[in-house]
Amino acid sequence: MKKKITILILSAFAMLGCDNFLNIVPDNVATIDYAFRMKATAEKYLATCYSYLPYLGNPDNNPAIFGADEFWLSNHYSYIFTFNIAKGEQNPNNPLIDFWGGYNGGMPLWQGISQCNIFLENIMKVPDMMEEEKRRWAAEVKFLKAYYHFYLLRAYGPIPIMRENLPISASGEEVRVYRRPVDEVFDYIIELIDESLINLSETIRDEHTELGRITLPIALGAKAKILVYAASPLFNGNKDYQGFKNQDGEDFFNAEYDSGKWQKAVDACREAITSAHGLGYELYEFKGSHSTKNISPETQLKLSFRGVVTERWNSEIIWANTSSTTQYLQAWCAPRALDASQMSYTGSNGSFGVTLKIAGLFYSKNGVPINEDTQWNYGNRFDLRVGTENEKYYIKKGYTTAEFNFDREPRFYGALGFDGGIWYGAGKFDDDDSYWLESKRGQFLGKQQAGWHSVPGYFAKKLIYYTNTSTSAELYKSENYPWVMLRLGDLYLLYAEALNELNGPDQEVYDYINKIRTRAGLPDVEDSWTGYSKTPNKYKTQEGLREIIHQERGIEMIFEGQRFWDLRRWKEAPQELNKPITGWDVDQETAKAYYREKILFFQTFSLKDYFWPMRERDLIINKNLVQNPGW
Amino acid sequence: MNVLKLHFKPIAKVKIKSKILFFIFLVICSLCSTSMYSQNEEKKITGRVVDEQGELMVGVTITEVDSHPVNGVVTDVNGNYQIFVKSSSSSLKFSFVGYKDYDIKVGNLNVIDVTMQESITELDEVVAVAFGTQRKKDVIGSVTSLKLSDLRVPSSNLTTVLAGQAAGIISYQRTGEPGQDNANFFIRGITSFGVGKKDPLILIDGIELGVTELARMRPDDIESFSIFKDATSTALYGARGANGVIYVTTKQGVEGPPRISMRAEGTLSMPTKDVEFADPVTYMKLYNDALYSRDPFAPPIYSREKIDETELGRYPIIYPAIDWRESLFKDNAFNQRYDLSVSGGGNIARYFVSGSFSQDNGILRVDKKNNFNNNIDLKSYTLRANVNIFLTKTSELIVRLNGNFDNYIGPIDGGNEVYYKVVRTSPVDFPPYYPVDEDHKYVQHIMFGGLKDRAFLNPYADMVKGYREYDRSLMMAQMEFKQDLDFITKGLKFRTLFNTNRISRFDKIRQYKPFYYELSSFDKRTGKYSIDVINEQSGEEFLDFWSDEWARVQQSIFYAESALTYNNTFKEDHTVSVLLVNILRSQTNAQANNLQLSLPFRNLGLSGRATYSFRDKYFTEFNFGYNGSERFDKAKRYGFFPSFGLAWSISNEKFWANLKNLINNFRVRGTYGLVGNDQIGSADDRFFYLSNVNMNYGGFFYGKESDYLVRGIRVTNYANPDITWEVSYKTNLALELGLFNEWNIQADFFTEKRKNILMDRVDIPSTMGLTAPVRANIGEASGEGFEISTDYSHYFNKDLWIQLRGNYTYATNKFEVYEEPTYEKEWWKSRIGYTISQPWGYIAERLFVDDDEVANSPAQRFGGIPNIAGDIKYKDVNGDGQITELDMVPIGFPLTPEIIYGGGFSLGYKEFDFSAFFQGSARSSFWTGGDGGPAVIEPFVDGKNIIKAYADSHYSLENQDLYALWPRLSTQHQANNTQFSTWWLNDGRFLRLKKVEIGWSLPMKMSNKLNLKTLRLYVSGSNLLLFSKFKLWDVEMGGNGLGYPIQKTFNLGVNVVL
Repeated sequence: MKKKITILILSAFAMLGCDNFLNIVPDNVATIDYAFRMKATAEKYLATCYSYLPYLGNPDNNPAIFGADEFWLSNHYSYIFTFNIAKGEQNPNNPLIDFWGGYNGGMPLWQGISQCNIFLENIMKVPDMMEEEKRRWAAEVKFLKAYYHFYLLRAYGPIPIMRENLPISASGEEVRVYRRPVDEVFDYIIELIDESLINLSETIRDEHTELGRITLPIALGAKAKILVYAASPLFNGNKDYQGFKNQDGEDFFNAEYDSGKWQKAVDACREAITSAHGLGYELYEFKGSHSTKNISPETQLKLSFRGVVTERWNSEIIWANTSSTTQYLQAWCAPRALDASQMSYTGSNGSFGVTLKIAGLFYSKNGVPINEDTQWNYGNRFDLRVGTENEKYYIKKGYTTAEFNFDREPRFYGALGFDGGIWYGAGKFDDDDSYWLESKRGQFLGKQQAGWHSVPGYFAKKLIYYTNTSTSAELYKSENYPWVMLRLGDLYLLYAEALNELNGPDQEVYDYINKIRTRAGLPDVEDSWTGYSKTPNKYKTQEGLREIIHQERGIEMIFEGQRFWDLRRWKEAPQELNKPITGWDVDQETAKAYYREKILFFQTFSLKDYFWPMRERDLIINKNLVQNPGW
Repeated sequence: MNVLKLHFKPIAKVKIKSKILFFIFLVICSLCSTSMYSQNEEKKITGRVVDEQGELMVGVTITEVDSHPVNGVVTDVNGNYQIFVKSSSSSLKFSFVGYKDYDIKVGNLNVIDVTMQESITELDEVVAVAFGTQRKKDVIGSVTSLKLSDLRVPSSNLTTVLAGQAAGIISYQRTGEPGQDNANFFIRGITSFGVGKKDPLILIDGIELGVTELARMRPDDIESFSIFKDATSTALYGARGANGVIYVTTKQGVEGPPRISMRAEGTLSMPTKDVEFADPVTYMKLYNDALYSRDPFAPPIYSREKIDETELGRYPIIYPAIDWRESLFKDNAFNQRYDLSVSGGGNIARYFVSGSFSQDNGILRVDKKNNFNNNIDLKSYTLRANVNIFLTKTSELIVRLNGNFDNYIGPIDGGNEVYYKVVRTSPVDFPPYYPVDEDHKYVQHIMFGGLKDRAFLNPYADMVKGYREYDRSLMMAQMEFKQDLDFITKGLKFRTLFNTNRISRFDKIRQYKPFYYELSSFDKRTGKYSIDVINEQSGEEFLDFWSDEWARVQQSIFYAESALTYNNTFKEDHTVSVLLVNILRSQTNAQANNLQLSLPFRNLGLSGRATYSFRDKYFTEFNFGYNGSERFDKAKRYGFFPSFGLAWSISNEKFWANLKNLINNFRVRGTYGLVGNDQIGSADDRFFYLSNVNMNYGGFFYGKESDYLVRGIRVTNYANPDITWEVSYKTNLALELGLFNEWNIQADFFTEKRKNILMDRVDIPSTMGLTAPVRANIGEASGEGFEISTDYSHYFNKDLWIQLRGNYTYATNKFEVYEEPTYEKEWWKSRIGYTISQPWGYIAERLFVDDDEVANSPAQRFGGIPNIAGDIKYKDVNGDGQITELDMVPIGFPLTPEIIYGGGFSLGYKEFDFSAFFQGSARSSFWTGGDGGPAVIEPFVDGKNIIKAYADSHYSLENQDLYALWPRLSTQHQANNTQFSTWWLNDGRFLRLKKVEIGWSLPMKMSNKLNLKTLRLYVSGSNLLLFSKFKLWDVEMGGNGLGYPIQKTFNLGVNVVL
């Protein structure tokens, strides 16, 4: 007995000896090395690098949709961070769309860059991949790394360059990186893209699994666009930022204008366009579909303009973000109802209204600005007028609307929905029996309570695919197209701009503008100005042509997230974004009262607004960072 | 020690009120040997002895004072005694371990019934200490035992009792929702700022369990409830003890015929205070004002007509004026609790078996149209069986089985959320539901009110659309074996214990998708209206079901402990004890969403204690814990945590003899030592030495159809093999004082230094692009404070007694080492030297006088709508011309109270007893709206209602009060006004009448007739009064003020012992 008890006691205490009791972690717990042990996991890491592409198709994440003056929303949507940028609520305490740290709708781009660096450090280790494939993947990631740097540069101006990842154990001073002058950052970005070019594939072989990956034309196009940015007034000879210096006194902005930057831009644009042409990219035109047989030329033009963005993977699209699709954007742009029977529908809501300023940007039917057109009665633009047979494909026959909406270029009718405007499609494909909008108070699309209606009165039709329908009271079915990052038309206009900046007007510049105008159903720029403009020689001077190109670009690229950045790089934001935001008086029931220009908001833009503020906290943690001027 | 008892035949069943048997036994044997002498004396006295609760006391010794040889008896199983004394001039002395002695002169009495009073600091009392017991007078560490009578409050949740009951506990309760109302409690405050465990280790019969398991303990099952606070009392739990220990043991059987105890309680429960909202008409007027004041172009949303008609109330359906709280909640709820226990046994085996049932109801309404219950209904059952079996004369086997089961039905999102929804709803947009009208005769579902073209929330629909059911259970099986090893050497014992627990919980949710209706027409002349369904497609009449996987718990815990103990006294003067214990613990959770969490949680340890005392004057103790945790790298896996203590009972010195009557106890003691904590960091980053990678995080969609998803990879933890234990260095100095044998005072002063606190490296800039924070054991914090407890008891005569008690705890702490950016100019931003829960905020000067002042003041850009007159103006502390994070300064008291105190009295007169207990809290603050800040209750924003106090006091053009309760109203979120600032920090100080109880026990004559041992009836109430400066809601709820309110209860109970 005693023996037994002694054994019992000893064995009880023997448990202590088993140190294995605490060794519970199995050997193959995932660590970062696992990511590069085989192709399948390396592909996951590739997707990780891609996943930091900002969701530009989502208006909550793309500051360039609501951040400028294109859209205006009801105050109910003040929770949308991007809209608050337009309202001047950007701040250093809690920055809106904070790309630096990844807060408030911003993508954490430094994380994206760090992921790219990890990928580039390791991809060559993967055993079961062909060398060529590794190089191609690495090239794609290099491009992404360059693009993320560019995105940060565009938002913040001078930024640190993260060539390689610092080790986690890096000491305090090592990790406190410095911002670099913008020219140096541009150079680094271009260097990276140039490195990637040689290994990128020209086309996508398997469209079902690889569309969305970076190809050679994407890299060339993006390079062209980035070089145009680098040559633009904001970054080229900008004297506003004299005195904005690094800790050691180094200037962030080079105040000397350098025409060589435009030369580089011209070369890059030419190369990108040539490459794209060689691969079969061409401007998109709506050619009709099974359901749209026998449509009028007017409707065809309208659909061409809607299709450049909404027709998935059309011939013009060079780059689209397959992971950022547009269901939400469309449902919120599309009018709530297209006739009285849909009055109680809630699937789409039309809350993302377009401002009167943007509606005024479009040319007259003669292809010149409405305030320049010798035939278009600018002074009486808010008078009432009744639609007739002549414009029945644009405006409902017999419906009273404002002069403002008459005699405009086809892109106006393609891009905008408005009170009395024809809304082709959405299930009605007979050109003589289309929907039209009625959006005065009391009408089926009129304002009911605060919230679900277009506050300025216009709808962004361009972003809505023409077959989308509200199939029931709560369901809006839409073509879920990926957000277009780069299209050929964009490159044409950039090329024209760069050429004009470099050498002034010449036939090549006109040609590239005219390619866009022809697709839009407009006469050539020379003919339009000569024939209809109050300043018929405008296109012959560099300054005049610059103005024309800027407006052409404004119209052509409207709602595509370009205007926000363009106004900044042209340094035109102080003029354009200090104007009041206006719209029709949508609280009114009669045409007379409705068609009055109503001020919605006094927008302001000052020097500080060119660039994002860095979060106060980021500056506290890294004392080597200098805050952007004005914040 | 139990073993020894077998050699004698105690004449009475021993009632175990405190957990020692040894001393009881000594007393008993001394009586056994003497009782036979008392047979033929002159005067016979009979009577019955009960405790303060009227419970019969078994085994109380009654001796005739100054009798030679000693004349004494012991009360029997029924608490009765009879004794023959020499004459009426004799005195009787009643004594029982853990109770105060009671002397009475016999006089001409023949029947003497006595109520014994518990004495907290009875010198011979035995208290629970880590892995064993010690005589109270031997204890050097800081251990507090709660009286079991104090644990009995009209609540089914034991944790709600703790505040103010014992020195050293900081506790508060934030919600009164049944099933969710566990109080927060900390021992001597919180001294760690890591994200890991901060609350104490809870041990029930030696087994680590959770707060909910403690909450469900029934006071009638508890034998002892102790709190270990300092290093020597907790060091043995090296791995887990740093935050203090709550140690509970359950009752065991006592020899004798079955003793059946029953208790039944019924409780009426209601909110202590309801938040008041503005009336609907005021709501609309203010809403329009708010709209207009921010945007002069904005048309009013509520028309004159609507406001007038709402006021007239002629068409309540068309112009609803809804008191949502009234629509959703009842005034009170009825709860009930029943306890039943049987104990008894013989020489071979003893048993204690108990069962209990409690039902707690919520105050939510139920719609008659539904045939299910969406109100909170928490039924809790416990079953416990403790059986002790003597296998041989020297070996004992104890089997403890315990099951605890909750069946819950309640609202889907919980009661607290239902309360919050009331705030988030406008009172005038729609009624909860429309009555059935001619057009909708055929409609089977409830026609809930809603809005077509705006987001809306119908809390009534949300509440009644379905319900959540959960079943939670705890099963515990424990076997303990004890062996006397006197055959090896005297005083050596061995015991070993195996325990397994299974905890499970699964939730089921059933709900339909409500149909919402909106008014579609109204003819004012005829009063006719029509309504239309607005979500015909998405509504569903039938119930849908899913199980809430997030709430699922399945846990399996294995625990083993073996101990060798040795106790002996040499030459009567030198008392020595040694303890060596080893433990092994393994826990596995089924609910693991990654591989690392699926692995078992394990601890292994060896602990020891050695004590030595000399003549009950000088005491010394050494403890250690040597523990391993699976969470750390091999090199850092084990921690050694030693501690030691010294005590001196000055009152036992010879020179004190003269003072002994005045100061019966005077003792000083002190301890110092280390205790560890391995539960640092969140559960998700378990193995700090390994990196953790999520191989399926996010990803990218490729392809023409954007449908080819490749998942991404993300590091969720960066490896760091250096991470190890958080260590606490504790010092405790204490003074014990006993005065006139009636009054005890105990004061403890403590300091603590917490090192190796795991914290995020904060100086890593975003440009590093890390996807997870990097952590290291670099933080340090310190804590200090004192606690005083006192009790006083006095018998005026045999019928009247009084007892007073009180305690006071002050515990504060501060950051010592905290990695933070260096603030060159803004020195106030550094946390060093501030308490861990110190709030930081802006200094709100007042409201802006006019728009010019806004333009000319430092820029306040927080996003949201532009500031105007009536918005909050902040102080630019660093003077840089803008209000930024750098202008936030430490303001107010910490968010965790630093002072908790409690005090009360008990009074007995014959069959009646009366007690009252107050509890208070001080030096704490809370944010309006809690962690979410005031935005949580921001009036009108996202359709929120407005609290009456804010409706009465806010800035408006008519009332430009620059110090109004709420700044200028807005219908949109105004980020400027909802920043954390002095404007929204409130003083959390309060004093409340926590409990009042009046009891009446059936006089003995009657109970004897009824063949009962005891019958006691009592009424009690809890949370009856609250004294606080804060008036909007029950201040103890702090920032959760709009949640499910703390309840006040009225309770009726009966306790019968057969």
